[in-house]
Amino acid sequence: MTISIITTLALFISTNGKTNAAYLDPGSGSFILQLLLAALVGGAFIIKTYWKKITGFFRKDSPREKGGDEE
Amino acid sequence: MTQAQESSAHHPVEASFRDPSGYLFSLDGDLYRQVNLIYQDHYARLIDSGLYQTLVDRGLLIPHQEVDITPLDPASAWRVIKPERVDFISYPYEWSFSQLKDAALATLEIQKLALAHGMTLKDSSAYNIQFHRGVPVLIDTLSFEVYSEGEPWVAYRQFCQHFLAPLSLIALRDVRLAQLLRIYIDGIPLDLASQLLPGKTRLDMALQMHIHLHAASQKRFASSVLPKERQMSKNAMLGWIDSLESAVKKLRWSPAGTAWGEYYTETNYTPAGLEHKKALVGDFLRQIQPRRVWDLGANTGLFSRVASQIGAYTIAFDIDPGAVELNYQECRKNGETNLLPLLVDLTNPSPGIGWGNRERLAFGERTSADAILALALIHHLAIANNVPLGRLASYLRELGRWLIVEFIPKEDSQVQRLLASRQDIFPEYTQAHFEGIFAANYTIHRAEAIQDSLRTLYLMEVRH
Repeated sequence: MTISIITTLALFISTNGKTNAAYLDPGSGSFILQLLLAALVGGAFIIKTYWKKITGFFRKDSPREKGGDEE
Repeated sequence: MTQAQESSAHHPVEASFRDPSGYLFSLDGDLYRQVNLIYQDHYARLIDSGLYQTLVDRGLLIPHQEVDITPLDPASAWRVIKPERVDFISYPYEWSFSQLKDAALATLEIQKLALAHGMTLKDSSAYNIQFHRGVPVLIDTLSFEVYSEGEPWVAYRQFCQHFLAPLSLIALRDVRLAQLLRIYIDGIPLDLASQLLPGKTRLDMALQMHIHLHAASQKRFASSVLPKERQMSKNAMLGWIDSLESAVKKLRWSPAGTAWGEYYTETNYTPAGLEHKKALVGDFLRQIQPRRVWDLGANTGLFSRVASQIGAYTIAFDIDPGAVELNYQECRKNGETNLLPLLVDLTNPSPGIGWGNRERLAFGERTSADAILALALIHHLAIANNVPLGRLASYLRELGRWLIVEFIPKEDSQVQRLLASRQDIFPEYTQAHFEGIFAANYTIHRAEAIQDSLRTLYLMEVRH
């Protein structure tokens, strides 16, 4: 099932441009997965960031936004 | 550079060969890193962007000095740096769950700071993290490259294999699976992790994406060439790192409620006997003033702390991942800087692995200690593991000059417990025989009976 999700998503990818010069093999699958899901994860991150700002605004007495400390 | 320096012998460090950005080498007992010409721009950005200082200030990167000595390979070198020395190099298969988790979170924190300074991590190997003064620190100064927006994270696969896969397997399947890291030097293959994880992890967004879909994607695109158009925005990259961070933070493992948990409640010392043993260990240690102490069979570190509190850099080795975990949590809680808990099975200590079996060194090959603590240990090795006392003495003498060792006779209830389920094939396990065997290897300086017990504590020094 996961393979078919990936194949469907793969239709949305286009190919042309420059190559990476890193010494480590990033792994094609690991690289492509990031490209496939970038928009999704990026979108979710924007929502999360704004949500934190909104809830932070209403919770004036808990200034723990900054620094991103552990749990 | 002086003539003397040029004629000294440079020794390349065997683990440092994959990345052409530079190489580690030792010279006259000191450790250096050659930065190559091809890495010049990235190194300059690391320093000029302020990333180096930020990371060092936060204790996330090992500090270094630029030095004027002959490089290992002058033809390719741009400059040489001298990193601060880490006391003991340990490997991820010797860490407890929280040590691996803290190392993972440190790696992600470093990547976030790197992105904020226009750089990115080009690798995320767990072997690049070491515990230095109690906290995880990146030791590879050349792990950064200039970030080019649109590029996915090159080190993503490595991060999942080195950190996320073992952490999720420990948290959600079995702590012993962490030992797969000892077999797979580049981390646990994701298709294997995907098979071993419980089915319910497919319902977890982050694990579904970073382990299961990731494994499927590796299989599906195994022979594909990389798509050349870069489509991962910086925001998506930040989201990706954030998603990995949430996945790691959510994973938990606690020894309580497992087979482990009752530690010092199971000893057969009276409170006075235990205090007397602590006092004797402290007394012996003050007499010999060791700089480096290894506590073998340290449990949760009660006696290791006697050593670390008098200023010795102490490593608390134990076979039990639960004990190592509790010990590490205690270290973090107290902010201890000179005690390192590590997982080692003395009957099968970490071997040399990787290229030529020299990339990751065997347990006994990294460095030695000034003093070894072997408390309530000998009977486990001699009786539960059938190791003859002669072999024990000749092994221990290789690890350090001084030995503080406890002998527990057969009459003791702990030894009786070990013998309860098996035939007593150990007629030589007597105090007199133990002393005779060890006296052939060591000079016995002190032997003190421990109060309210049948046990004896010895202070010995290797005989040459």
